[in-house]
Amino acid sequence: MRDHEVLVTDVLVIGAGLAGERAAIEAALAGLNVTILSLVPPRRSHSSAAQGGMQASLGNTAMGKGDSPDIHFVDTVKGSDWGCDQDVARLFVETAPVAVREMAHWGVPWTRVTLEKRVYDGKVIEEDPAKVGLIAARNFGGTAKWRTCYTADGTGHTLLYTMDSVVLKLGVTVHDRVEAIRLIHDGEQCFGAVVRCLRTGALRAYVARTTVIASGGYGRLYGASTNAVINEGSGMALALDTGVVPLGNMEAVQFHPTGIVPSWILITEGARGDGGYLLDKNLHRFMPDYEPVKKELASRDVVSRRIMQHIRAGYGVDSPYGPHVWLDIRHLGERHIRTNLREIAAICQNFNGIDPVHDLIPVRPTQHYSMGGVRTNIHGQAYGMYNLFALGEAACWDLHGFNRLGGNSLAETVVAGKIVGAAIARQTKETSPDVRWPLVYEHLAEESARIERLRARAVRPGGENVYALRHEMEQILSENVGIFRTEGPLVEACDKLRELHRRAQDIRLRGEGRGADPELGAALRLPGMIRLALCIAKGALERKESRGSHYREDYPKRDDVNWLKRTLAYWPAGADEPELRYEPVKITELPPGDRGYGESSSFAATAGRQDAGANPS
Amino acid sequence: MVYLQKALARNPRVDFLVELVQMVSGLLLVVFLWTHMLFVAAIWLGVGAFNALAHFMDQYRLLPATVVFLVLVFCAHIGAVIRRVPRQWQEQKIVWRHAKLIRHADTWSWLFQAVTGAAILALAIVHMAVVSYAGINAGLSSMRVHDGFLAFYAALLLLSEYHASVGLYRVFVKWGWVRRSSLKRVLGAISVLTVAIGAITLGIFYSLGAQA
Amino acid sequence: MARELTFRIFRFNPDQPDVKPRLQDYRLTEEPGMTLFVVLNKLREEQDPSLRFDFVCRAAICGSCGMLVNGRPTLACKTLTKDLPAVTTLMPLPVFKLLGDLSVDTGVWFREMSLRTEAWIHTDQVFDPNAEEERMDNAVALQIYEAERCIECGCCIGGCATANIKPEFIGAAGVNRVARFMLDPRDKRSDAEYFEVVGTEEGVFGCVGLMACDDNCPVGIPLRDQLAYVRRKMAAAGWKLRRRAPAARA
Repeated sequence: MRDHEVLVTDVLVIGAGLAGERAAIEAALAGLNVTILSLVPPRRSHSSAAQGGMQASLGNTAMGKGDSPDIHFVDTVKGSDWGCDQDVARLFVETAPVAVREMAHWGVPWTRVTLEKRVYDGKVIEEDPAKVGLIAARNFGGTAKWRTCYTADGTGHTLLYTMDSVVLKLGVTVHDRVEAIRLIHDGEQCFGAVVRCLRTGALRAYVARTTVIASGGYGRLYGASTNAVINEGSGMALALDTGVVPLGNMEAVQFHPTGIVPSWILITEGARGDGGYLLDKNLHRFMPDYEPVKKELASRDVVSRRIMQHIRAGYGVDSPYGPHVWLDIRHLGERHIRTNLREIAAICQNFNGIDPVHDLIPVRPTQHYSMGGVRTNIHGQAYGMYNLFALGEAACWDLHGFNRLGGNSLAETVVAGKIVGAAIARQTKETSPDVRWPLVYEHLAEESARIERLRARAVRPGGENVYALRHEMEQILSENVGIFRTEGPLVEACDKLRELHRRAQDIRLRGEGRGADPELGAALRLPGMIRLALCIAKGALERKESRGSHYREDYPKRDDVNWLKRTLAYWPAGADEPELRYEPVKITELPPGDRGYGESSSFAATAGRQDAGANPS
Repeated sequence: MVYLQKALARNPRVDFLVELVQMVSGLLLVVFLWTHMLFVAAIWLGVGAFNALAHFMDQYRLLPATVVFLVLVFCAHIGAVIRRVPRQWQEQKIVWRHAKLIRHADTWSWLFQAVTGAAILALAIVHMAVVSYAGINAGLSSMRVHDGFLAFYAALLLLSEYHASVGLYRVFVKWGWVRRSSLKRVLGAISVLTVAIGAITLGIFYSLGAQA
Repeated sequence: MARELTFRIFRFNPDQPDVKPRLQDYRLTEEPGMTLFVVLNKLREEQDPSLRFDFVCRAAICGSCGMLVNGRPTLACKTLTKDLPAVTTLMPLPVFKLLGDLSVDTGVWFREMSLRTEAWIHTDQVFDPNAEEERMDNAVALQIYEAERCIECGCCIGGCATANIKPEFIGAAGVNRVARFMLDPRDKRSDAEYFEVVGTEEGVFGCVGLMACDDNCPVGIPLRDQLAYVRRKMAAAGWKLRRRAPAARA
């Protein structure tokens, strides 16, 4: 075992997306030695794909006038369907404006307020001349004000490139093309991670005073997802596999209303925010029938359900990839599309051969975001284990509850990075370096043995094919744990996933699994992915209410009496399914009430039903 | 980044100056080439006109002056571009393989640029030696063109015009200002025109040589 | 009728240097809307689990999958098979370190380039959390963004003849990166300081103007304009430098 490389650092950050890098910067500024690990070169992280924007209540645009953290707070809590932690939400909305300005200071070329005439939804918008040159904002779903700061069509890209430029400037160590496959811990405290090099396949140990999980979401557990192929929930699986760290609200899965058919690439909410319509097969704009107030810009969970509801009613457009609806942005004009929505035009052109200036875009709700993740407190410390932190999509800090607002995830990465990063720095300074060599080598040996076992049985006939198993898992989640959920299919999903988990112990490689073999990597990852899938399915089965993105057709109402609580999924060592516990949701300022949109809103629900029944022509 | 050797030895402007020399010398050569084409096209007006022009140049010692000018500018141009031409065998192999691999027209034209440049150098030396030794005179020229040198001059004409056109294209591409597609069109037209003028001139000399 | 497609894929594993690099043929049936992302994953899952390649976003945003498709540097994820002939050759991008088959180490190259060009905002100003943001003309913001759009895929580098023979050359991506900071009023570097970074043969004056970068940029950054912009600025800076005593430069 002594031939494995062991590296020692103060802070080990797993994941070099926006959240990980922002936290790393905060720790590095505090004088700590930080090492960031990444599956891919940092600038390829999925943060870069966020086109839309970052919410912060600057209130510079005419349509955002009078905005404040208070209004942002209310939007966020309503969006979460009262599932979020209100202390966290309050801290977040207060910090977001500072975080946006800090990114401007570091170099993000935010789109600025201009006096250019603009017509939106039939109204002319007149900007305040005193605000020209300040950071502009666009409209996003579920918000009372225009609050989403953006950089033309590439907000995530410019944020990530700027963030990474600060990482470079500070000289923070980044090791790319590595994958953390195990946390080093003693059941109480975390000491770093065992890591597989994706260039050579060699195992290394990184020993750290504090370890931070910032590895993003698990979108790829679903077959159809807008997420990058690296979003496999690996960081969450690391935490779950400790047996003592719980994952929060894993059943809260966001489906974005507009994934393009059939590659499921995201068409940003900016398309609807900037005034795009959703049309059915009769080219009828149907959202106002269901949501007379917010129309296309109700929260994502609501819009996604309304689309599926409309498709179920027979108004979907048939295609070889199943029924879909149209997204229409033609009326926004060529100039707007070619600057502020250029990425959409490129995606349409590249993948569907259509031009949104003249053509309709085929879209359907697609898995997009995981509100759940490694459960942490407000400082980002993981439950159940010392010196382990998590943030960003990988975490359940719980800013988003059961539905995240568009523009709040980019904001969360940067804001949480700032706040949690400071907590990490404090905690690291209080922790004396403690390298437990036997523990480190024990973990290395176990992982090494796991790899050797897979290699030893490689190529021989029989056993399970890792890719086949994976596709089964994707299918189970997509079909049984999707937008509409009911008891029967959920029970079936749990049974099948348990069975799949058992079968995954008998994976046999088709190739030899030498070095940095990709099939070997998939085989190492899959059992953890299935465990996450089971956490999602079981959480969904047990939660007998509808809240935000979790919609139970057999329990269509939100139930604040019994279910105003957060699911915590543990996976005790050796268990074959997760153990669910619950904790109360902290309500401080805003007691549960009407969202003002969606089925739970009395107004929208009746209006929607009447219109949907009577109208679509 | 500054290293000791660079800090001690390097004039930070040297690369810029060499680039400048390459461009200016190249532009001068293009101007010379086109002027030259026009001057020899004097034969269109008849043997008398051509000889009068030649005589004029002789009288004011313009011929030796031009030769000196050419040698200097040639040397400057060669000195500047030689840093660009892949020198080692290894580099040569890479560049040719690369051009074949990526199938990119402009990349090929760069390789031709090196080849045509070398060929022009050889041909131009011969041409200049002959002209300086024998002087300029319509009779001599037409005899040369008719008696075996036609291919030589046709090659020199095509090569130098190609080289000049591509070189000029690159200067504009590198410094901006003009759109690439329109640049290609304009330069293409100019090249065709110059080659046509040259070809007609050569034709006249050839027929004069045949009559003689 | 669905076509039978042949993919002639470059195979080489640096772990097994004794096995010579070779082109290996794979066949599969074309499907509607098929991209090289779909093709390569299918080949790996169904025919050859050892096949190495890189994809991340599969939406032409992250820049991971640059490769030579029939010789042309481009993003594999956005290459539709319907635009390809029956036989397609896939090779890794040149210049970058080869990690195996179609996978190359663009990340390390770009990190080194970013360090060499010091690609971050240079300023002495300290961030004031309580102050309003500094104003910027939106036209300037858009100009910066135009250069910032580079996704570091490496197509401009792999396609560049100069970069192929001069490892020190920062290429169009490097020059464009410098242009991004030159355009940014927040970066306080002087032209003379930029000259130090790019006013050399390794920088903008190393470019011979072949424009394979401009022709192949998969996100359509006007690289030729960016190169010319930096070249003109650096020429002006180089011209002015003349007046300084040489000793001051060391």
